[in-house]
Amino acid sequence: MDACQAVEKEVNKVLEKFTGLNQHYANNLDELTNSIQSIQKELNEGPEDNELTATQSLILIQTLRRLKEAVSRYGQEHKDLHSTVSKVGKSVDRNFVNDFSSVIVDRAFDGQEKAMLLNEVVCEHFMRQGMLDVADSIVEDADLAIAEDKKEPFMELHRILGALRMNDLDPALCWAHTHAVKLREMNSSLEFKLHRLKFINLIKEGPSAQLAALYYSKNFEKFADQHARDMTLMGSLLFLRHGIQNSSYSHLLSTIYWDEICDIFTRDACTLMGMSMESPLSVSIKAGCIALPPLLNIKQVMQQRQVSGVWSNKDELPVEIELGTDFRYHSVFACPILRQQSTDTNPPMRLICGHVISKDALTKLSSGSKVKCPYCPVEQSPSDARQVHF
Amino acid sequence: MADIKALEHPTLKVPYEILNKKFRSAQKTIDREISHVHTASSDIEACLEDKKKIKDVSRVIDNMVEKLCLLKRKADESINEELEAARVIKERIDHLKEAELLHPHTKPLWHKKRLDRMLVEYFLRAGFYNTAIKLAQQSEIEDLTNIELFLTSKRSEESLQRKEVVPCLTWCYENKNKLRKMKSTLEFKLRKQEFIEHIRNSRCLEAVKHARKHFSVLEDDQKLAEVQRVMGLLAFPGCSSKSPYKDLLDENSWADLVKQFRFENFKLHQLNTDSVFTITLQAGLSALKTPMCYKQHAMRKSSDCPVCNCQLNELGKGLPYSHCANSKLICAISGQALNEHNPPMALPNGHVYGYNSLNEMADGNDGRIVCPRTKEIFHIDETEKVFVM
Repeated sequence: MDACQAVEKEVNKVLEKFTGLNQHYANNLDELTNSIQSIQKELNEGPEDNELTATQSLILIQTLRRLKEAVSRYGQEHKDLHSTVSKVGKSVDRNFVNDFSSVIVDRAFDGQEKAMLLNEVVCEHFMRQGMLDVADSIVEDADLAIAEDKKEPFMELHRILGALRMNDLDPALCWAHTHAVKLREMNSSLEFKLHRLKFINLIKEGPSAQLAALYYSKNFEKFADQHARDMTLMGSLLFLRHGIQNSSYSHLLSTIYWDEICDIFTRDACTLMGMSMESPLSVSIKAGCIALPPLLNIKQVMQQRQVSGVWSNKDELPVEIELGTDFRYHSVFACPILRQQSTDTNPPMRLICGHVISKDALTKLSSGSKVKCPYCPVEQSPSDARQVHF
Repeated sequence: MADIKALEHPTLKVPYEILNKKFRSAQKTIDREISHVHTASSDIEACLEDKKKIKDVSRVIDNMVEKLCLLKRKADESINEELEAARVIKERIDHLKEAELLHPHTKPLWHKKRLDRMLVEYFLRAGFYNTAIKLAQQSEIEDLTNIELFLTSKRSEESLQRKEVVPCLTWCYENKNKLRKMKSTLEFKLRKQEFIEHIRNSRCLEAVKHARKHFSVLEDDQKLAEVQRVMGLLAFPGCSSKSPYKDLLDENSWADLVKQFRFENFKLHQLNTDSVFTITLQAGLSALKTPMCYKQHAMRKSSDCPVCNCQLNELGKGLPYSHCANSKLICAISGQALNEHNPPMALPNGHVYGYNSLNEMADGNDGRIVCPRTKEIFHIDETEKVFVM
């Protein structure tokens, strides 16, 4: 944050100094104009065909000298402010990174084909956000060929989500009903939760809607085996006389359930359509924002020590980047002995004691037909180790 | 806040360059007006020396007053423009500073805006002006992106595409000093193209006149060599295919001019040739990329992993894999991390899953579990603990 503050300090100086300069000289110029105008007025009081008296011309010359000095000083002082201005630029350069060359692979996205792919990714990102006009605009500007039917599911998703946010359950219920079979296969609780919200909404309306609520509860029938406990709870709601607001069940009215249903719907709908929950583009950019600073640092260090050639094969990033568990999509096993990622030829092996090391490490550690686990006292035969898959 | 340091250079540097430009033009205006005041003052002095009458003196004083007012007004205007430019920087800093104080609820919104800002810049660089403007308007980030700069360049680019050089030459003139420092050849290239167009339209005499006017001042050897070659066109009028200079008449040279203009405009505003968006995307893909993302086996892929997404998968091919010195394991069934709260368990067939998922599966299934990858059926008691250091 000090980076921002450093630049801000310089910008504030610029604002302050320019405002000051402007005010000071505006007054100054006004004063000078007044003084010269008053001389003029004085002159005009005499007969206009006369010459100026010696005193008058002396006063005039003196005023002019003052005036010339003042305006020249104005120009000079404005010029002197350049250092203040350029300090802003210097402070931006000092505090922010400008050189991205050779952080990753130079020119990795060059070429027509890659540009096209990238634009497609960006276009899909906007479709997913429901910003269809921006997506259309990209298609036009980048001359993309994206099929109309690709847009359809995104649009439906957005219509339903929009309705859910407005507390309208019907489009979502309709969707869930159409995809009921698949949702059941996925063990999804979406449909039940939608019905539950609808039911609670009816209860909320008080005794007048009780009959409707009772009638609606028939919808729960098919969920009997899955959500038995929740359903008894729903049933008991029917007996509340003074409205759910005043009962010990008032927590069921919480808006959390609406947020939850939005999340569940997005997750289930995405899984059903084989899409990721979040836009792959935003996830990648988020990861990139975490990854770039350490990569820039290591690049700087390598340049300073003049060892940039060491990382020449560029098959792997030079440092490990900890993105956090949210960004974990695959299991990666790194051998704790060799500090290497496992590969097809060097897979993880589970020793009898349960500890896992890589096959290469196992070969290196074993002497003859004996190997001692590096983590516990168990001795065993290397052939007893079994390959595992994460 | 290391990400702000790493990513936001252009956000602040471009408005700074604009402020700097405004400063220079303000200085020029003020100097000009000051010199007018000085002239007016010498006029008065001359009148006094000639012992002119009061009415004449009064008249030159009128002129002086007028010049002073003009100075005041012009200086005020220029300085206000400078202040305006400085305020743009301040506004952007304020936006960047917000990132620090973000409430967890507003953080996603800030991140979304950042992505949108990056995308606007990417669109502008790619020349997708309509998209850029639309996006900037919708996500209300017009003041935070450098749209203005690109729109000016858009006008020059479009005129070049129409084979008009004047707007681009005006641009060259406006940024004369900086371009000279950069050793830009753009102006020369434009003049050369003008010459070629004269030849193309069989206006040899005008071509010669043009050459006299613009090529006689050149000193650079390389440029002179180019001029010599271009002059050869005079000897081969018309577009005969036998002419050894026919490559000079290629229409594609206009497209090259557009490219050169775009590049020099970036350089003038201290913008990198790569957009922050592509760099960040590359870093992100690299940090997420695992050998698993490129396995043929569908079971290994994850629908949530960006690198497994089909287009990004292709884009990520040339990028380095993430470096992994410590194991990072997740349960292939639930996607949850494997750790002391969800210990990894190996089935007899060697496949490892999280205890929580296996337990849940066994609970409603009389202790039976199905390996989702091989469909083999085991009993929960057959699973063995796995220790990963």
